[in-house]
Amino acid sequence: MTPVLAIALKDLRQRLRDRSALVLGFLAPVVIAAVMTFAFGGAQNFHLTAAVVDADHGELAEAFTAMLADDQLADLLTTVPVDDPATARSKVDAGEVAVAFVVPAGFTEAAHGGGAVPVTVVGSAANPMAAQVATSITEAFVARFNAVRLAAATAVAGGVPAEELSELAAATARRALPEQITDESAQTRRLNAVSYFGPAMGVFFAMFAIGFTARGFFLERANGTLDRISAAPVSPWVVLAGKSLATFAYVVASLTTMAVVTSVAFDAYWGPPLTTVALIVAIALAMVGLTALVIALARSERQAEGLASMVSFALVLLGGNFVFIATAPPALRTLALFTPNGWLLRAVTDLGTGAPTSAVVVPLLAILGFAVVTAAVAVLAIGRRRLR
Amino acid sequence: MRVLAFTGIELRRLLRDRTALFFMVLLPTVIILVIGATIAGIGDLRVGVVAANPTGLAADLVDELHTTRGVEVREAGDEAHARDALRRGELDAVVVVPADLDATLRAGDEAMIPVLTTGSQSLQQAARSSVAGAVARHASRVLAATVAAERLGTDLDSQLALADATQSVLPAITVHTETVDGGTNALPGGFGTSAPTMLVLFVFINSLAGGAAIIQARRLGIYQRALAAPIRTAHVVLGETLAYAVIGLVQSALIVTIGTVLFSVDWGDPLAATALICVWVLVGTGTGVLAGTLFGTPEQASAIGPAIGIAFGMLGGAMWPLEIVPPAMRTIGHAVPHAWAIDAWTELLSRGGGIADIAAPLAILGGFAVVLLAVAGVRLGRRLD
Repeated sequence: MTPVLAIALKDLRQRLRDRSALVLGFLAPVVIAAVMTFAFGGAQNFHLTAAVVDADHGELAEAFTAMLADDQLADLLTTVPVDDPATARSKVDAGEVAVAFVVPAGFTEAAHGGGAVPVTVVGSAANPMAAQVATSITEAFVARFNAVRLAAATAVAGGVPAEELSELAAATARRALPEQITDESAQTRRLNAVSYFGPAMGVFFAMFAIGFTARGFFLERANGTLDRISAAPVSPWVVLAGKSLATFAYVVASLTTMAVVTSVAFDAYWGPPLTTVALIVAIALAMVGLTALVIALARSERQAEGLASMVSFALVLLGGNFVFIATAPPALRTLALFTPNGWLLRAVTDLGTGAPTSAVVVPLLAILGFAVVTAAVAVLAIGRRRLR
Repeated sequence: MRVLAFTGIELRRLLRDRTALFFMVLLPTVIILVIGATIAGIGDLRVGVVAANPTGLAADLVDELHTTRGVEVREAGDEAHARDALRRGELDAVVVVPADLDATLRAGDEAMIPVLTTGSQSLQQAARSSVAGAVARHASRVLAATVAAERLGTDLDSQLALADATQSVLPAITVHTETVDGGTNALPGGFGTSAPTMLVLFVFINSLAGGAAIIQARRLGIYQRALAAPIRTAHVVLGETLAYAVIGLVQSALIVTIGTVLFSVDWGDPLAATALICVWVLVGTGTGVLAGTLFGTPEQASAIGPAIGIAFGMLGGAMWPLEIVPPAMRTIGHAVPHAWAIDAWTELLSRGGGIADIAAPLAILGGFAVVLLAVAGVRLGRRLD
């Protein structure tokens, strides 16, 4: 057995004997992924229940309520007829409905007579988006009537004789609005919460390996283990390589368990198996680079522990392991791409939403680049001082 | 006095520990910032615009989209970029303004404006409706000008200008919005959410991880040596517990100060907020001391502690609002103290409640604290005897 392998196996045995490594590497990420799956299980659809008050009973109000009940809006809206505005308001206030549409008395008459009575949308402070959506739906409806009267008024202002007006209005009303939206599906796959937060939590907990290994190195230096090893024909670099191999194996095992368990039990999608393996290996190499860097920069066990914690938390915060990074402001999204975990999450997001497998190439290169740079800096820093 | 001596030693040890200070001060601050900034933008629908030729009426349409309330319009680059952003969930919808839109409308033809959605995520229908509203408003202006131009035999631009002038004096049918209170069950957006939730999360995690110090002291035999002096076990237990309570209070005070000064968080009624923080610190202290008697090694406490803290935070609504989880998960979540603390903060921050309004969650948290402290005190005392 080569010394590197012997040291790696010794480290792994030692780590597994302390139950915390098992809990952090295997149990905790799976439990947390399970909590996330159950939490986000039924919360994906934005659907409104809306109260509708028709105090007008005219043809325009009927056209409006018919449009609200139309199939096109069925996914978005369920309407409930309500007798009067006061009841509608109290229903919104009580949270029974998300929003209320109130078509006031005299709406049709005023519209035909050239006057204007506003349609009221009653929203709740608890759900401002419902009010916005209801407002937009109503605006799309009234836009056509406004177009007809604006056309007439503009024509009059431009000099069209008044007697042609009713004919002009009727002709305008028959025309379709010149711009229509067409719905196009972007043909993507839906990213479920566990497909994002599974890898995110897996990497977060795998990062504890950095602290474990770095602390272990300084503990062994302090209690003389490293000195005793040096009595054998083993260079300090071999010790470091052995410890790196142990970290690598631990991270690979932890993330592989996470990938298998979340895929099988919680329907997470990590991408095709080969790319998943490549990503896990790359991120494990990045962890090895970071561990070496912490060992290179720290001077004591306490410093190593502190530095490892700070580096890990900085990376998971910036990389988006605790927030769904797509909802973050663009500046934060850019910052995430300075972290290996940010690139990993980009890759699983792309794969999980139906991007071609080639989408994984740039993230892989970025993660490997991070591993190479951190390892190189660590080697340079260590080269300047004695390892033991 | 002997109790306070113990407390003082613990606090001095902490002040020398820069890693602990990082977790107490810097980490919560950065997390409040990152999470606050991320959720501050949630609420507005994000609509990407791809406009290959943003001139004339196409530019007008983009302007109209910008005026839509509740919609954040982002320049999305070319269509491929926009599709990527949509797929990743960075946008809720993409409007592709045709390059020939201006020419089509001027020719009196009908223009089709593609709106891309993935059709699968919650807000996309909402974004589509908002875009449809803006497009209809724009189209109504173009239609009016087109009809007038045809009748008068003039050009469209002069009629557009005339339509704009007319529109400003014409009584148009408008949409009036009114907002009722609605008794929100969520914390205020942005930092109003991230600051109180992170206070709950971090005071607890820090206390749990602090159990490591008790284990270390136990393993080094520090308590045994202290008991050689004329000091009672109860004094040691009380001194340790008090130290953790002080640490929790200091951390809470720092988070409240940082929240107020840096992120303008309004913490609600001062008396109620203080009471809530004190009870929460006691819950944390009880858990921390208990962790110090349950775990075998300091590594276990400082590693497993955060994992438990995060899991409890998720269950209890400190990581995302319990409003969005299924009812069963909401019920299960209330088995951990976090959910009661978040409920109380929501009452204080979102509904302007006072101490009487949070009496129930305070009492339940008090119950958690009493039980945890009692069990922890007894266990620690037994370990020392």
